[in-house]
Amino acid sequence: MREAITVRDLSYKYPDGTKALEDVNMEVHEGERIAIVGPNGAGKTTLMLHLNGTFRCMEGEVELFGKTVSKLKRAEIVKEIGMVFQDPDDQLFMPTLFDDIAFGPINQGLKGDEVRERVDKAIMSLGLSGYEDRAPHRLSFGEKKKASLAAVMAMEPRILVLDEPTANLDPYSRTELIGILNELNDREGITMVIATHDVNAIPELADRIYALNRRIIETGTPREIFFDGELLKQNKLDVPDVFKLFDVMRCFGFNCDKLPLSLDEAVSGLTRVIETAGGHIHLHIHEHTHDEVKKWREKYEHH
Amino acid sequence: MVEYPEIDRYSSLDSVMHRFDPRAKLIAFLILIFSIVLLQDLKLALIGLLGAILFLIASKLPLRFVLQHIKWVCFFIVPFILIMPFSVHGTGIFHFHGLTLTYEGLEYGILVAVRALAAVIIVLPMIATTRFDITIKALGELKMPNMLVQMFMFTYRYIFVFVIEFQRTWRAMVARGFQMKTNLYALRTIGKALGTFFIRSYERGDRVYQALRARGYTVKPKTLVEFKMRASDYVWTVVIIGFAVSLHVVPFVEVT
Repeated sequence: MREAITVRDLSYKYPDGTKALEDVNMEVHEGERIAIVGPNGAGKTTLMLHLNGTFRCMEGEVELFGKTVSKLKRAEIVKEIGMVFQDPDDQLFMPTLFDDIAFGPINQGLKGDEVRERVDKAIMSLGLSGYEDRAPHRLSFGEKKKASLAAVMAMEPRILVLDEPTANLDPYSRTELIGILNELNDREGITMVIATHDVNAIPELADRIYALNRRIIETGTPREIFFDGELLKQNKLDVPDVFKLFDVMRCFGFNCDKLPLSLDEAVSGLTRVIETAGGHIHLHIHEHTHDEVKKWREKYEHH
Repeated sequence: MVEYPEIDRYSSLDSVMHRFDPRAKLIAFLILIFSIVLLQDLKLALIGLLGAILFLIASKLPLRFVLQHIKWVCFFIVPFILIMPFSVHGTGIFHFHGLTLTYEGLEYGILVAVRALAAVIIVLPMIATTRFDITIKALGELKMPNMLVQMFMFTYRYIFVFVIEFQRTWRAMVARGFQMKTNLYALRTIGKALGTFFIRSYERGDRVYQALRARGYTVKPKTLVEFKMRASDYVWTVVIIGFAVSLHVVPFVEVT
């Protein structure tokens, strides 16, 4: 598969000398969904701002579909890659939602009718019909997040970079946003790079994870990363709640060979175990159970 | 619920002023404002004030909203009426502890107050009857320098964000026992809070610029806007500008 993003030996220092990134190497294939995880200050946002050329590469280089970002014009970069910022108030800078969504397409040089078409499409796909004339301060946080995504989608980029897309969202808005992102990936094949602390969302949102802590610590599927206890501990990373729950159930004798990462996996796994065990599951407490629960606690209590 | 300082709160009402083309409205009323503030005759200024009130009535803006906005301006107008009668030389009407209240001073004080009040009243049908973002776009259409239009646009967008942020900071201070008093400690604390607020605003400015660049900002942002002048817009423009001109021409014709 074609490479959408290639990062080679990227290093970056802040003006005060603090190292933000060190020899970062990364490859993202077209249509792939990538999650970047790491503790606060790991350099996730800095890396993302390099992907869209906001930060110029001091050392190393970033390529989008084989073209070096530093050699591309801004108009060429924004055609390829769209970025949704963490705080929607940073991104919704125009007085009305319509103006904001139209901002990108107008900058791309599109004509009036084409801009309106793009705006209508983005508004429809994000379920924001009727909000066109609404001022951003009149939107809820969830609506602002969707509006930020609509504003980027109207530019029809091939790569979407999202900084903490599910942060501060209520459960309904969070689920809705995850659904929208997955639909965009399925329907339009958009490549996604998502920086997130929301480990419960990762199995639903990402095919592959890059663990970042100034440098790339590890890469792998969510299952590979979440099973690496040592890596999680060293880099203050967490695992999905459902994964922890089934892991602790093992201490009580639950026979589960493949720990689930999502609720869907949990339901199918549980059904399989119950069916093979004659219609029920058996949990027990023995003397060693308490020791095992203690070990389980130690395994995840590194926060 | 946050109370926003929205001048265009009643822009969705329906009145002749609401239907008036924003560009023509801006030009016509600005001419009228200049016309009134340049008047030297109290009678004419009162006619100007009467005209301003009629345009305000035509705008159907709620009285409470109007008074809410005018009251602040009155704080600046009242001192003129109080100080001018004692500071302009002329025919004395009243003497008090060495101060002389003069007829000319009183007339001049009232003239200044009437002109100011009329100008402020006209601002309401001019600005409050159109969504503020459309007013900004109209300014752009009227060839106002792009940099100024952008400044208006971003200020209008972010004033609401800052209001929320400042209220949040204030609540956090009150939640930790801060009491607003007129002492050095309170002033120092407010100074520090404002300092933090400015730094936060600066950081936000940085992030907003990054977001602008990420969407291809080229220093000349354009918006899609369609204004169309109708017959009624021409009629209102002629009426308002005609009124503004007549305030200066009619007395001149009468004298000659």
